[in-house]
Amino acid sequence: MKRHQALNVNGEEYDIEIEPNRLLLHALRDDIGLTGTKEGCSIGVCGACSVIVGGRLVSSCLTLAVACQGKEITTIEGLAKDGKLHPLQQAFLEYGGFQCGICTPGQIIAAKALLDSNPHPTEEEIKEWMSGNLCRCTGYYKIFESIMAVVQNKVRAEDLTARERREARIQSLGVYKSSS
Amino acid sequence: MAKGENYSVVGQRVTRVEGYDKVTGEARYVADLHLPGMLFGKILRSPFPHARILNIDTSKAEKVRGVKAVVTAEDTIKRQWGAFFADQYPLSVGKVRYVGEEVAAVAAIDPDTAEDALHLIEVDYEELPAVFDAEQAMQEGAPLIHDNKPRNIAMTIDVERGDIQRAFADSDVIVEDTFESIPQWHCAIETIGSVAEYAPSGKYTIYMNTQTLFMARYRVAAALGVRETDVRVIQSAVGGGFGGKSCDDNNAIVAAILARKTRKPVKVINTREDEFLAGSRPRVNMKIWVRMGFKKDGRIRAKQLRIIADNGAYSGKAPAITGVAALRHDTCYKYSDVKTQAYLVYTNKIPTGAFRGFGNPSAEWAVEQAIDMGANELGIDPLQIARMNAAGPGYVSPHGNRVTSCELGQCIDMVEKMMDWKTKRAGKKPDTGLGLACTVHVSGKRHFGDYDGGSATIKINEDGKALILCGEGEVGQGAATAMCQIAAEELGVPIGDVEISQADTDLTTFCLGAFGSRVTYVGGNAVRDAAAKAKQQILETASEMLEARPDDLVVEHGKVYVKGAEAKAVSVADVARARLFRRGGAPVVASGSFDADSVLQDETRYGNESGAYNFGCQAAEVEVDTETGQVKVLKYVATSDCGTVINPIGAEGQVEGSLAQGLGYALIEGLRMEEGRPINPNFSDYRLPSMRDMPDLEHAFAASYEPTGPFGAKGLGELGMDPTAAVISNAIFDAVGVRIKTLPITPEKVLKALREREK
Repeated sequence: MKRHQALNVNGEEYDIEIEPNRLLLHALRDDIGLTGTKEGCSIGVCGACSVIVGGRLVSSCLTLAVACQGKEITTIEGLAKDGKLHPLQQAFLEYGGFQCGICTPGQIIAAKALLDSNPHPTEEEIKEWMSGNLCRCTGYYKIFESIMAVVQNKVRAEDLTARERREARIQSLGVYKSSS
Repeated sequence: MAKGENYSVVGQRVTRVEGYDKVTGEARYVADLHLPGMLFGKILRSPFPHARILNIDTSKAEKVRGVKAVVTAEDTIKRQWGAFFADQYPLSVGKVRYVGEEVAAVAAIDPDTAEDALHLIEVDYEELPAVFDAEQAMQEGAPLIHDNKPRNIAMTIDVERGDIQRAFADSDVIVEDTFESIPQWHCAIETIGSVAEYAPSGKYTIYMNTQTLFMARYRVAAALGVRETDVRVIQSAVGGGFGGKSCDDNNAIVAAILARKTRKPVKVINTREDEFLAGSRPRVNMKIWVRMGFKKDGRIRAKQLRIIADNGAYSGKAPAITGVAALRHDTCYKYSDVKTQAYLVYTNKIPTGAFRGFGNPSAEWAVEQAIDMGANELGIDPLQIARMNAAGPGYVSPHGNRVTSCELGQCIDMVEKMMDWKTKRAGKKPDTGLGLACTVHVSGKRHFGDYDGGSATIKINEDGKALILCGEGEVGQGAATAMCQIAAEELGVPIGDVEISQADTDLTTFCLGAFGSRVTYVGGNAVRDAAAKAKQQILETASEMLEARPDDLVVEHGKVYVKGAEAKAVSVADVARARLFRRGGAPVVASGSFDADSVLQDETRYGNESGAYNFGCQAAEVEVDTETGQVKVLKYVATSDCGTVINPIGAEGQVEGSLAQGLGYALIEGLRMEEGRPINPNFSDYRLPSMRDMPDLEHAFAASYEPTGPFGAKGLGELGMDPTAAVISNAIFDAVGVRIKTLPITPEKVLKALREREK
């Protein structure tokens, strides 16, 4: 039976009606409409569905939405503020830390969780932590470089560009976004 | 060799055109799409590797609240389809041939309801004897999988050039052995999916994460029995393809059938298990017997192959892949006398198909190890053997491949230097060794009919911004960005003034799509042609505005001016508006096209298959733990000749990603199968390389210029994957003297080989 549930996602309160067995992943994507969090393996191995709940990195494909009531949930959509990218997002752009992009929200969220608790990780600590996030495109080298760029403060604040200052782009033709 | 130091956009480290969307989570993948009234489809799959279908009862499933349609073969035209041989149905007709085959499907108001209904479909099967090994399947009396394919042989190749017997007689050293490769799954983090809509007028619109839109349209239309233009394919963002999303599977067709029956949009997204069973078709596994003859000085004199390729239950692109495994490598070195026999054989297993490398990673696994064996017998450094035999510009392979640019020699030289090869070889440490291998790949291939081309349209909007309309699409590796760079360079405008549209079969002209390392070369040439023609229109109108001859004008940084009179420039936007807003006005718009100077191979498989060839050499230094059998890659070096590098960020990424897949193929990937059933089709049992698995890597691009390529560029996407497994195996042999002949090279196999050697 569906129940009323309040979730705090990226600083906003969402009231949704969900079954008690609703996974956080599906609540975020299908009930709230934040599709940046991706489903990859559905068993908590690949990290594509990574989100931060109450300061901890979790696989939203293994987490019940009801268990997240009263906790702050951070998804990829919550990182850019006022059109300014998070330094990790900027670094992934500049250093080519993604290709197809499907694992990228999870990679960036996982890296954020690491840097939030350990702003100056060693190379080994980065490799160990990020091994929970699979990528089939990049071979990880440029993901590693992107994170190191943030650790070493190589991403300048003035480079955190707003959308308008992007270079070329792909023009999207009439594809609907998630309804809810 | 390298030309074009003066390019302003080509060769720059340009960030990805869709980058902002991807780092913010805004990029729309097919699973993110939601149309009003949309239903969710699920597919019922065969639990048997080979069985007759006696009856299907869907009545209980249809009664489930929320179920809108249940479909079987009775809802289809029962027409077989396939890339080369039409041998599979959208939904099984009469019998099933592998575990995972699509038998029926449900559309319901939510995925759970659809899943529940699947369990209520009752199918009566009569199990049939099945065959799982390709060699056994070729035997007389083996269970027949397709009635019209005696001995289950889908295709044979038997080619001899020169005189192989004489060449072996003339050889000083002959080596031979048999090597086995595995089916490797693409494991794109995004599974295959579609959202299909059907308009009562008869038109299907399908949002798909396909790599090859027009080929998808052709195959979907064939399976549905409609005209091509009755199907519109729109490419969503693609979450990794690697060959697996080139539409050899039934996902989109089933979505379309459900959409037609329900008159609602239907979304069908493969679960991870669906994906392993019947989504992306895994790499064709092959058993390759190889025999090679060498002269005393190290020159290759003769090469003979016998390949048994495991097709699984349906053929897909496996015929072309087997052809590549049989013949392609003969363009890498200067071969004279070669013989190759190959058999593509049906088995009752998951159909195999296209995966990055397309036959090369299977063939090179065998051939590059045979060459290493030859070097060892001869007592010559394998690097010298590679250098001595390497193809060069102007080389024509025994099968008629004509090489234009080729910097394989330079690649080998770079590997020697970057790996510190001589010093390390001279000071070899115990249990540590070096291995190398070379590769060749095409830049597009003429094999889907007599066309190896691409096309594009460019319009200049009235604000001066150029929009590229191109059907090659973006599969995630950066083709769209390269296209924008090529257009910007040719037009003389900043990269920020170029956009590229999503690929859409209704809005873009015909393109073959992303396979065969072809998009930057073929599609890039088409974009450049369109840009050159659009620029002519700009110059024509600007010459009226500036009262000068078009030949005297320059377009640079988005401005048009008379040479030497930059102060009196007009902007491209001014020109576009002037051309449009006047009596008899017209937009700046031009279509371009390119068809490579290749030929369709004849019945003996002779003919120049591609417009350009890409080369590479890779080497590894490994350390083998003789107690555990564990192989550690201490350092990896990859060099590539891809002509001009259009975008270094993208090019490096292609090589780095290829290496990860190559190391996975070499060392860890594979799925345990029993009687045609994968035991655990998931990511915890099918392990992929992770960040901590990646070795120190150094890579470099040869200074190279391909005269037929856009600004000198040629293909790169598959090159980095091809030789990697052989590189690792050769290095293990150098380290500890054992040769592993079946993939993947697990610690168990290494340990077993070490123990056997001790006996």
